[in-house]
Amino acid sequence: MRDLMPLAMVGSGCTVQIACVRGGMRLQRRLADMGLTPGVVVSVLNSQMPGPVILNLRGSRLALGHGMTMRILVRTV
Amino acid sequence: MVVALAGNPNSGKTTVFNNLTGARQHVGNWPGVTVEKKEGICRWKGRSIRIVDLPGVYSLTAYSPDEVIARNFIVEEKPDAVVDVVDASNLERNLYLVVQLLEMGAPLVVALNMMDEADSRGYRIDVERLSQLIRAPVVPMEANRNRGTQELLDEIAKVTDKEIRIPELIVNYGREVEEEITKLESRISSAGDLAKRYPPRWLAVKLLEKDQQIVEVLKAVEGG
Repeated sequence: MRDLMPLAMVGSGCTVQIACVRGGMRLQRRLADMGLTPGVVVSVLNSQMPGPVILNLRGSRLALGHGMTMRILVRTV
Repeated sequence: MVVALAGNPNSGKTTVFNNLTGARQHVGNWPGVTVEKKEGICRWKGRSIRIVDLPGVYSLTAYSPDEVIARNFIVEEKPDAVVDVVDASNLERNLYLVVQLLEMGAPLVVALNMMDEADSRGYRIDVERLSQLIRAPVVPMEANRNRGTQELLDEIAKVTDKEIRIPELIVNYGREVEEEITKLESRISSAGDLAKRYPPRWLAVKLLEKDQQIVEVLKAVEGG
């Protein structure tokens, strides 16, 4: 767990790998439906406040609220 | 004859709908333009086909009302064909819905839309191979230029005329889960009406997922 950090802390332009989602079944399921599964590599296109965190994920863009990105743990690649 | 149009948001579903029905509605390009149930009639080769435009969804869980509407229509109304409009430039994410529809045993035709966009990104899609792998027709299209509409209708006709049958996709969930699926499936199959309304295996998987809406449906059945 030492090398993990919340996705919310990743700066714009960085590329990271999804480690896990700390949330209930519903959130995990929903994010998996959108393609955000453990092991997938995403790049952060925008993480400025205010506004959502925008990711490049499997060739498409995904916007997530900051609260949700606090619950997604990632590692640097 | 009823044909449902499914697809991810912004896959060009509404454009395909307009091409099929000749409707000239305004097509917005913000996410989630389709919120209400839109219907139109497509007249083709002496046939009159009712086209139902379902809300744009990424998946068929019961996460949002849109997903429930789309799913219930396919499962309960049993359209003669389901067209999944797929964004060819974003194949990986779009194929997720394709798999879910195949798992439901939907009579599926894939409209592989935005082929021009995929081309310009340098993607070469082997349409025939894709069709073989998912065991359902795949029609390359450029709906914004009204290309591929006739070919799509040809494939829809083959499915509605039962000329080709789309096999239900069986995803292997691993030994432990499969054991539970088998148990539930046999109970569902022996419950008469339920098995007629829903594909038993699909229902079993949804129950294991604790899908709220499906659990409610079952409670109602058991109570009645």
